[in-house]
Amino acid sequence: MKPLAPPRLVGTLPFLAVLAGWWLLPRVVDYPAYMLPPIGAVLEFAWESIRDGSLLRNVLASLARLAAGFAIGMALAVPLGLAIALNRHVADTFRPVLSFLQAIAGIAWVPLTIIWFGIGNGSVVFVIANTIFFASLYNTIVGVQSIPTPLYRAVRSHGGRGWSLLANLILPGALVQLLLGVRTSMAYGWRALVASEMIAGSSGLGYMTMEAVQWQRTDVIILGMIVIGLIWVVMDRLLFDAIERRTVARWGLLQR
Amino acid sequence: MSDALALPAPAAQPALRRSVARFLKGAGGVFALLVAWQLSVPLVGLSSYFYPAPTDVVAAFADLIRKGILPVYFVDSMLRYSTGLATGALLGVAVGVLVGLNRTASLALSPLFKFLFAIVEVAWIPIFVIWFGYGVKTIVLALVYVVFFPVLYNTLLGVRTAPQILVNALRSLGANRLQVLRYAILPAALPGIITGLRVGAGFAFRGLVFAEMVAAKSGIGYLIFEGAQSQQTARTIVGMIVLGLTWLAIDLFYLRPFERATIQRWGLTVDAEQRR
Repeated sequence: MKPLAPPRLVGTLPFLAVLAGWWLLPRVVDYPAYMLPPIGAVLEFAWESIRDGSLLRNVLASLARLAAGFAIGMALAVPLGLAIALNRHVADTFRPVLSFLQAIAGIAWVPLTIIWFGIGNGSVVFVIANTIFFASLYNTIVGVQSIPTPLYRAVRSHGGRGWSLLANLILPGALVQLLLGVRTSMAYGWRALVASEMIAGSSGLGYMTMEAVQWQRTDVIILGMIVIGLIWVVMDRLLFDAIERRTVARWGLLQR
Repeated sequence: MSDALALPAPAAQPALRRSVARFLKGAGGVFALLVAWQLSVPLVGLSSYFYPAPTDVVAAFADLIRKGILPVYFVDSMLRYSTGLATGALLGVAVGVLVGLNRTASLALSPLFKFLFAIVEVAWIPIFVIWFGYGVKTIVLALVYVVFFPVLYNTLLGVRTAPQILVNALRSLGANRLQVLRYAILPAALPGIITGLRVGAGFAFRGLVFAEMVAAKSGIGYLIFEGAQSQQTARTIVGMIVLGLTWLAIDLFYLRPFERATIQRWGLTVDAEQRR
């Protein structure tokens, strides 16, 4: 059966239905406006916060923290991941501790980080870095392990060892898995960011959304939710899809 | 990502000696960490509020057990988690199969599903709090939400991999719709469902902790949060340790055996491969 219309067009219909339902609801059912503000109120607040720059400031604050946490987490995870993947003794010694710490990675640290770093950037960045670290650690290890043995032997038999083995085979080999894993680790990192901003933030999207609960400003909350969703969709499309296309599909490494 | 750091064992050494050596080294790692932590406390010289020692944590653990707080909190958390997980998974499979059977519906609804999943469950908690107040409802709903979408999405993908030949064969043998569903479509969707469940279970566990910090008066997440708020940091660390051990146990005793029992036994992953 042929689809009736181009998929993109068909895909917008449910969104329109949701918007129509949202528009219709207050006209049919009687409920206090703070429970679900009318679309107009959310649009109005959106326009207002765009114009005075506060929305952009919050988005940039969140993204900057995400970037900082990501950079720190990766910088720590890759060397340790390589050491674990390449040395059995290191792996055996660290694995139980790291598996355990991985299990509590992320948001569970927030109360402690508030004590250590106070409310604000320090706490949030620590939590993101912590989350990204464990996800990337896993990806680095899997990445090195997924290098085909024949390739490994080929490099060795051509005299590659030590640094040249690392630079020519192991790092590029692990890179594929690391890049592929970015989507998953960022999915955890993004949640950690929003959650930790809600508890320990002093600015950012999570802070903006949670702060509004006190004043029952549902228009702010809903705008925050929509922006959080949109940013993830954009990152997914522009960043992670592009990474997958460039590396995996091009190098023919896609194994599905 | 929760296949925690699995490394294949080299075949050269005898298996037993190898696993004993591995265990000893692992235990050594844990022990070294604890010793370093304990020794660093006098060196750092900060109050136990800021940096509690392992002995403080053990004392807090004993105290929480004696007062019966920890068992109650633990059961509360696990009930919330399993309710959310089960409900989310059932809804995800049901909606996934229903929508997946219709190509147009599946095409039309996928973007909306994707967008809703992009609004992470964490972001829903403020509005849930407004709608349902601080409490169990908000927590369980957030968990249902985060499990629902990965299961739904992977079920949709899985239903599409059902081999048309098989469906046609069943039909021509006189199978009704239910039988086609039971013998062709659900088995094909199963690996996807399990994948979705795994992803959802991981997100939901983090979601549980966060939701309990914000919206609960009991549970492990609440223990972690409240411990820090009331300057009983050792309690916070007890909570974190319980949390970590719980996730390791869930992963080891529940998720992995489940995965093995379903996917590997029926060899369904191979089916999906051959389709391509």
